[in-house]
Amino acid sequence: MTAILQFAFDALSVGSIYALGALGIALIFGVMRLVNFAHGDYVAFCVFALLWPSIDVVAIVFVGNLPWYLLIPVILAIGAGLSVLSEILIFRHLRNSNPATMMITSFALGFVLQHVLLMLFTSRPKSINLWSNLSLPVELMGARIPLLQVITIVTTITILFALVTFLKRTQFGIEMRAAAEDFTMARMLGVRANRVIMAAFAVSGMLAAAIGLILATQTGTTDINMGMPIMLVAFVATVIGGLGSLPGAVICGFLIGAATVMLQVFLPLEARPFRDAFVYLAVIACLVWRPQGLFSPKSARERV
Amino acid sequence: MLLKVENITTCYGQLTALRNASLSIDEGNTLFVTGPNGAGKSTLLKTIAGVVSPVEGSIMLAGSPVTRKTPEDIARLGFSMVPEGRHVFGSLTIEENLRLGTGMLTDKSGIAEGLAHVYELFPMLAERKHNPAGVLSGGQQQMLVIARALMAEPRLIAIDEPSLGLAPLVIDQVYDALLKLRETRGLTLLIVEQSSTRAILAGGRMILMRSGEIVLEGDAVQLSKGDALQAAYFGYGEH
Amino acid sequence: MVMNKKTSVLARTWSTPVILIALLVVIALVTVAIGSGIFSRTITEIFIRVTLVVGMYIFIGNSGVISFGHAGFMCLGAYAAAWLTIPPMMKKILLPGLTPLIADVQLPLILSAGVSALFAAVIALVAGAVLMRLAGIAASIGTFAMLAVINTIYSNWQSVTAATSSVVGIPIATGIWSSLAGAIAGILIAYFYGISRSGLALRAARDEAVAAAASGVDIYRERLVAFVVSAFVCGLAGVLYAHFLGVVNPDAFYLGVTFIALSMLVVGGMGSLSGAVVGVVVISAIIQILRWMEKGIEIGGASLSLPNGIQEIVIGIVMIIILIIRPAGLMQNRDLSWGATAARKSKTGD
Repeated sequence: MTAILQFAFDALSVGSIYALGALGIALIFGVMRLVNFAHGDYVAFCVFALLWPSIDVVAIVFVGNLPWYLLIPVILAIGAGLSVLSEILIFRHLRNSNPATMMITSFALGFVLQHVLLMLFTSRPKSINLWSNLSLPVELMGARIPLLQVITIVTTITILFALVTFLKRTQFGIEMRAAAEDFTMARMLGVRANRVIMAAFAVSGMLAAAIGLILATQTGTTDINMGMPIMLVAFVATVIGGLGSLPGAVICGFLIGAATVMLQVFLPLEARPFRDAFVYLAVIACLVWRPQGLFSPKSARERV
Repeated sequence: MLLKVENITTCYGQLTALRNASLSIDEGNTLFVTGPNGAGKSTLLKTIAGVVSPVEGSIMLAGSPVTRKTPEDIARLGFSMVPEGRHVFGSLTIEENLRLGTGMLTDKSGIAEGLAHVYELFPMLAERKHNPAGVLSGGQQQMLVIARALMAEPRLIAIDEPSLGLAPLVIDQVYDALLKLRETRGLTLLIVEQSSTRAILAGGRMILMRSGEIVLEGDAVQLSKGDALQAAYFGYGEH
Repeated sequence: MVMNKKTSVLARTWSTPVILIALLVVIALVTVAIGSGIFSRTITEIFIRVTLVVGMYIFIGNSGVISFGHAGFMCLGAYAAAWLTIPPMMKKILLPGLTPLIADVQLPLILSAGVSALFAAVIALVAGAVLMRLAGIAASIGTFAMLAVINTIYSNWQSVTAATSSVVGIPIATGIWSSLAGAIAGILIAYFYGISRSGLALRAARDEAVAAAASGVDIYRERLVAFVVSAFVCGLAGVLYAHFLGVVNPDAFYLGVTFIALSMLVVGGMGSLSGAVVGVVVISAIIQILRWMEKGIEIGGASLSLPNGIQEIVIGIVMIIILIIRPAGLMQNRDLSWGATAARKSKTGD
């Protein structure tokens, strides 16, 4: 029983991070048909925002020294700000371009961000101590679960709940969902295109910041490549979930997290290093079975 | 004059879809745009709505110039567009679709009343107001998008091919609703309609388009009496 | 009738590969004339990259499907070349898991190159049989998943690929002329594929899928053909790379090279062969200029140099600016050609 509980929390906690990542990608894809390859670098940027630029081996913690009730809003604001800035300076000018151009531009942006961080901080991962007391385990129904895992899961569920309420209950939320489904029609009903897109970027940036904080606390390090693995899975989860479907992206994020943990537990020992290969083969199988995504909205099908 | 379009030319790349089009509509009147496929009727409406930009010409709505403005700005001036193919937001509920049109209203107190009126006009929408709009039939979707356009309290509604893909009985229902609205609210209507018969039945003015140009205009009933309409539609005597 | 059509396409467009090849030959001649070993190596790398990007263009440009997986074919080709050309004595020690069929053998380089590229093509046939059923973004993710699978296998199969350690001992043989030959081969394969029935059909499907299918084009089959041909050329790029460095490692064939190559393709213009070549040449030239500026150059007696690390930042910004100004890429889906260009453009209303 405890093993199953441990496993469940592992899966949920890994899945949470993937789900948040997928949500960040899906939000922007929904309103702009843009896959933002810079998302992983937003995550890294937010993590390094905790530090003062230095090429020393030891990290100089700067913003990271703020008390949590200030630190969290500041980092969220930095994430949102970076994201919105990239919209205004770059993506706005590519609104109707072909998908390849938008993808490569977002990749180039990520590339630039990565190398700015590289220049300021070097590629050496530095260790930091962010709320390390959270790694201590708590007793939960007989199992010992790291407190951080619990917080990650609770935070993710709270964020999702808040987002759902926002999207379903507020006028602006309805406008965003409409814009994600049929952008031009929404504009004809008075929805302000720029505002909706900026809001999507802002929320996406905040999600990246949240992921950054969780990762920094979990691993105790700052590494310019931190966001990359999350970004890849998020990208995959968004597509499998069905492009244009936010719930689909979230659910698939959790599913991939669960699959990853499950494979780690159940694969025979010799096959374990190849775990990722199995996950990706499962992804291919998923796509062949349902190419439009598991949860694609009805109107997403292409009509002749 | 509520809408004044002057010498609009719109191109898609190398293709000139609309050439030197001019028209005007007074408040409370109805204007039908008819003509064969590819005549440029949809392009005309899209240009007025701001979805595409003309390369030449000007458009004035309620006295303000709206040429090349964004669709959302034009909507705020009292123009509501129902494009071809209905375009309901399938993943939103019926009520959410309706509420979408109200975002730009400055006075939010009338929304509940507006919803009540719309549900009165289209009872089948009221029955399913919390269902996703994607499950509605074609005719119901057409009613929904008209109702949605109404929620914005527009002065002019432009509808592109309201009868497309609908059974004749359903088209009757749609037009009944439209004409009732015209009477009760004094709405100005700009309707693209392939069937000139509908235009004649509904009354009002009519313009006929061919190959991107307006070739004929006049009162719908009078035009139907003479040969001019057929001649212009089929291009007799031109070559 | 068919013969006439094909001849006229050839007649109208043959100047494109000639110009592109001439461009590369001129670069090679200049490099040899300069005689610097370092510069020679840089240009060799550029030619290898041309081979890779042209290979990617064969699939991506003609089908319109963005593939993230072609670095995987480079990996397959490179490792196959390693397996076939490293002296058997070393293989027994380094890669004990290799089957005797391969472990005991040491092929002459050209033969090994052909076999290795063919190996990549065969794997493409198998993978493509599944993936080509997908379309659009689903296909792109599928190709990325394929790359991830290849990378995971090669990064973990200790006994056959030395996992994440590098496989050393590959005979160093790629120089200016062999890499140029590879690039020329890639360009010619791309060109002749492009004017073949399969290539034309695929491009028709890219632009108007429904009309093409209604005209009898088997989109699945044509995509598969393009996938396999492109894998061959990318595998060839891998072979050249292996014999250039003498060392292979799975990391060299994963995300870094994928995105740099895709960037060069898209910035050059992914709709035309010229776009692929021009993309590599222009971006590589800018990178090289920035490298020199980082080292420091003399201008009228004063020494000017950029801070370290700024090179990548500048190239990233340059690419973003190019794409904002020309979203279709530098070549805007057109090809470099002469003579028939003017007539061709007016006919198609370009």
